[in-house]
Amino acid sequence: MSAIVVNDLQKTFETKRKTAGLRGSFRALFRPDVQQVEAVRGISFEMEQGELLGFIGPNGAGKSTTIKILTGILHPSGGQAEVLGYVPWQQRRPLAYHIGTVFGQRPQLWYHLPAIDTFHLFGKIYEQDDQALKSRIAMLAEAFEIEHLLETPVRKLSLGQRMRCEVAASMLHQPKLLLLDEPSIGLDVVAKQRIRDTIKRMNEQENTGVILTSHDASDIEALCKRVIIINHGQIIYSDKVSNLKRRYLTSKQVDVRYDKEIDPAFSLDGTEIIKLGRYGAKLYFDSRTTPVQSVISRLAEKGSLVDITISDPSLEEVIRTIYEEAESGADISH
Amino acid sequence: MQISPTRRSFPNEFRKYWAILQTQVANSFAYPADLLYRSISIVLFMWIFAQLWRVTYGASGESVIAGLTLRDTMWYLMLAETMILSRPRVSTTIAENVKDGTIAYLLNKPYNFILYQFSFGLGDSLLRMITNSLVGGVVVWFLVGPPPDPRGWHLVLIAVLLAWIIDFCLNAMLGLLAFITEEIAAFEWIYNKFVLILGGVLIPLDFFPDWLQSIAFSLPFAYSVYGPARLFVDPTLSRFLDLILIQGLWVIALGVVLALLYRKGTAWLSINGG
Repeated sequence: MSAIVVNDLQKTFETKRKTAGLRGSFRALFRPDVQQVEAVRGISFEMEQGELLGFIGPNGAGKSTTIKILTGILHPSGGQAEVLGYVPWQQRRPLAYHIGTVFGQRPQLWYHLPAIDTFHLFGKIYEQDDQALKSRIAMLAEAFEIEHLLETPVRKLSLGQRMRCEVAASMLHQPKLLLLDEPSIGLDVVAKQRIRDTIKRMNEQENTGVILTSHDASDIEALCKRVIIINHGQIIYSDKVSNLKRRYLTSKQVDVRYDKEIDPAFSLDGTEIIKLGRYGAKLYFDSRTTPVQSVISRLAEKGSLVDITISDPSLEEVIRTIYEEAESGADISH
Repeated sequence: MQISPTRRSFPNEFRKYWAILQTQVANSFAYPADLLYRSISIVLFMWIFAQLWRVTYGASGESVIAGLTLRDTMWYLMLAETMILSRPRVSTTIAENVKDGTIAYLLNKPYNFILYQFSFGLGDSLLRMITNSLVGGVVVWFLVGPPPDPRGWHLVLIAVLLAWIIDFCLNAMLGLLAFITEEIAAFEWIYNKFVLILGGVLIPLDFFPDWLQSIAFSLPFAYSVYGPARLFVDPTLSRFLDLILIQGLWVIALGVVLALLYRKGTAWLSINGG
């Protein structure tokens, strides 16, 4: 059963341009230079209930606009969309009971009040009964490790602490679907990890669907099963995260260490030395032309191995490759 | 997959907006300096007004001008200033929300956005209304003597509430303009000047020439400030009934326009930081 069905979604913004200076302002007043910006240009996809879907793309690619259309706060210029059976921009209010949203770095908690006050307000707004709200708050406070922060005015929290409270606030009403727009922006690794863990836990325990946008590929890598890559308002790639990696992860990195000092002229056919140390080296190779087997066995012949690690490139690098291919016009979407 | 539709029940709806109002009252306590500052400004205004009107009454040689004594004028101005200084910044807040993108959070909650602003604004006004009227009242009492007959105060309170709603509707319409133009400071400036002059904030409308009075009384601003302030110094039942009838009509008319504008406005919205 599909939680989200999107068909040929489009959004065009009109922005007024003005040339610099007072003269430009006057001209813009009488003869505005209206520019059409196509933020979303015919996006179609489906998402199953309980799926973890990543939306990735550079700034201005149309990720946030798509999310905002799906939550019902922006009206599209064309195309259809259904979220949990509702047309978001026509049924924004009934839909709102079932979705939770996070817009990274935009606050929804009341700045001068402790988070618990906003939680209670949201409980009323989402019409939860007091007992259910209380146990829900206790559960989320434990999951996000924010029990000790709930009574502190939000303005006194660090960014990481605040964001954990923000995400918790979006989950209070047990949404069936979470739409997270850059939830980890500006956070340190520990705070990111806590948020990811809890999102994953909600997904497993409550079958909450998650659609997540990020320009940090590690978010998607850690959380999502499927990824949609979007650029210039269009989907340029859509597949499982694992397929994405298999397809593009042909270049591998090897870190090798020996128990004795190595030859300063150390080299290996079919590989490229990135770094050479006294006891070890770091090298790259393409597994399509140089089989992994051959690299390992030849490295083992060179001496007594202490350690060897073979790793894939990060998703960041993979995505960079895809962007570059899309820019150069190669057809890679399926 | 359509999830069972959520029924709207009146008690639940009321609890929502009541909770928003309460939260905003709690929030106002986070700015005690702001409350104090505003109270200081009313002290200053009343003192200046007292000097001005004392001279005016003295120069005219009359003790009653256009039906108002100096004491009436000062108590009129006290209530007018209290109302003006306690107004919520609805349009400015909406414009800020559009600019910084937090409008996205405010629009995707299961409530009516306009009623949210209404409850928020009312919560914002309440404390200031109380402190301003207390401080202003003490100052004016000290300057010109005791307030008008307290037996009319409950009528004044009703008129003040209706006046507040009229101002809210106009203010919220201005705020919705931010959905389209983003920068609304110029419109706000014009609106505030209208309220200042045609609403009778600076000078009671009774002192205006007839032609200007007739213009003022055919516009809503007269009923968002002048009406209740004038009733305060002349709390007769007939004046009250006349006033709330016209106020009621304005509330209905402006409320309908606001609701339509909101329905249209959401389609025009574009959000920064896409």
